[in-house]
Amino acid sequence: MNGKTANLGKLARTTTLYIVVVAVALVMMTPVYFIVQLSFLSIREAYSFPLPMLPALNSELQLEHGEHGYLLSSYARTTGDFETTIDTADMEKLQVYLKSQLAIPMTLQEIQQQVERLETQDVVRFTRRKDLLSNFRTFFSVAGYNSIPALVRSLQICALTIVISLSIGGMAGYAFARYAFKGRDLLKFSVLFVRMFPGVAIAIPMVKILAQMNFYDRPIGLSLVYAVGNIALTVWITASIFMGIPVSLEEAAQVFGATKLQAFLRVTLPLALPGLAAAAMYAFLGAWNETVAAIILTQFNPTFSVVVYQTVLGAVGQVNLAAAGGIAMALPAVVFTFFIRRYIHQMWGGVTI
Amino acid sequence: MTAIADRNQNGRRKWLERAVPYLLVLPVAIYYALFWLRPVITAIIGGLTGPEGGLSLENFALVVGDKGFWPALRNTAVITAFSVTLEFFVALFLALLINRKFRGSSLFLFLAMVPMALPAATAGAMWITGLTAHGWINSLLQHLGILEAGGKIYWLAGSQTKLVTLLIFLDSWQVIPSVMIILLAGLQNIPPEMQEAGYVFGGNYMHVLRKVTLPLLAPTIQTAVILRLISAIQIWLIVVTLLGFSRLPVLVERIVYYHREVGSLYISERMALGYTIIVAVIVSLAALLYLQVSGAFKRERKE
Repeated sequence: MNGKTANLGKLARTTTLYIVVVAVALVMMTPVYFIVQLSFLSIREAYSFPLPMLPALNSELQLEHGEHGYLLSSYARTTGDFETTIDTADMEKLQVYLKSQLAIPMTLQEIQQQVERLETQDVVRFTRRKDLLSNFRTFFSVAGYNSIPALVRSLQICALTIVISLSIGGMAGYAFARYAFKGRDLLKFSVLFVRMFPGVAIAIPMVKILAQMNFYDRPIGLSLVYAVGNIALTVWITASIFMGIPVSLEEAAQVFGATKLQAFLRVTLPLALPGLAAAAMYAFLGAWNETVAAIILTQFNPTFSVVVYQTVLGAVGQVNLAAAGGIAMALPAVVFTFFIRRYIHQMWGGVTI
Repeated sequence: MTAIADRNQNGRRKWLERAVPYLLVLPVAIYYALFWLRPVITAIIGGLTGPEGGLSLENFALVVGDKGFWPALRNTAVITAFSVTLEFFVALFLALLINRKFRGSSLFLFLAMVPMALPAATAGAMWITGLTAHGWINSLLQHLGILEAGGKIYWLAGSQTKLVTLLIFLDSWQVIPSVMIILLAGLQNIPPEMQEAGYVFGGNYMHVLRKVTLPLLAPTIQTAVILRLISAIQIWLIVVTLLGFSRLPVLVERIVYYHREVGSLYISERMALGYTIIVAVIVSLAALLYLQVSGAFKRERKE
């Protein structure tokens, strides 16, 4: 009897647990799902309301004789009917329209073939595969967005930030792990200190300081600013990594005649590498995602995040392009998070103020 | 002769040995001095300098006289208070509920990290495409049958109270999962024997939670809340992305507004600097106050 109620209780608990887990996951993922699916919509789809819940893979098209030449209609899932889109005799116009509005790439020959079928029948229907990545192509190829040079700059900034924060922060992290010294606590609290003064507040005076150094509007300038916040984190992460590697290994190497530096380079560093890689990814994430300081500290050479941000602001109508930019921006961030998820978990577990 | 040289060398080596940690930390110190302390001091000096030079509080008078100041202060305070409270309690509730290994728990934890990993620009794109009248939120509601066909909710129109509420929910969406992860990590570090002991002595769930689990979780809670507090006061990008400048003023939005949007105006640099100092003071005070009230300083001394 008792065992039965205990079992029932356990079952109820497990059920509640899964209901909550699924509900939370749904709430978290719904907005993410929609921005992903929006990035695959054609302009035509993105302008319809209500928006489709899934991007179409194919598009059904219909050709007729129109007033001005050929009347092209496309099948709209929301109304369940063919909707007239364009009426023209100009094949190139048709091609451009198909590509830009419906995300359907067709050669002039292929269009010609379909048009020729009109000679024997009144209505021609055909289905074409939609180019799912067309928004991404547009986002990266339209010169006005300047996304490729911005992407290159952002990667440069990330690389520089990683180099600066890992070298400087890593040294301090090693000291933190291996030595007792005065000012250790100050270093521990510096993570908080550097965050208390608003990032924007540092960025504004930095405009002048970087201009004096001739670093304003250049990748190195931004990475110098990003490293400030990152160094503190790197010290924390690397300290915990080095603490996890026994000193006795280094001592053993020294017994065999290695100097302290050699012992570090040959024994400790290789062991610390996976952890250091995680710290580097962390620095990458910080530098890649940052938008606020980048808006203030760039003028003619924006970072990728600034370009995306501006597309978003200017693209209330171009929903699908804004979504594509947002996804291009988020992809590296999410991938790197996936790689370092264990470390994030571990780090938060170990961190207490 | 050689003995003395030896001793000298020995002494030097010892001195060097002792200096090693300081030498290792020195680059960080120099770096902070150059790229953190220097801009901070520049900002403070700029904030305290009057139009004719010399020490003056005129910039603050300008800021207080700005018609956006009081609304910005009020909005920031309301957003911070409600979002930090809401986020903390929901996250704690979820963390306590989920605090055990279950099938798919590592997948769930990764999913929870996705909102945290989303760059501000992406989050902005997500919400602006959702909240416009023709956006995906209204579309979803229609497909679910909650909204009648063709019906729309104008999310971004209406009173300031409505917009503030909306912002608190958007902020929570992004933040609750990450706070939950921090608290979960803390919970999993508590040895289960501690809680079992509580039950053995006759405590019920609430007792054990209050007397055992939460006190042991206190340091983690402090970490989570203080990091949230600091960044909640500095909210602005999502506000501007959704509503543009000046529609719903918040403190940091004012800094960017005066620096970037009306930067050509003669007084705007002083306005921006004045706001900067005020925000920095508010953030530091809030952080210190929280650390004091939550007893973090006491614990630090005990250790």
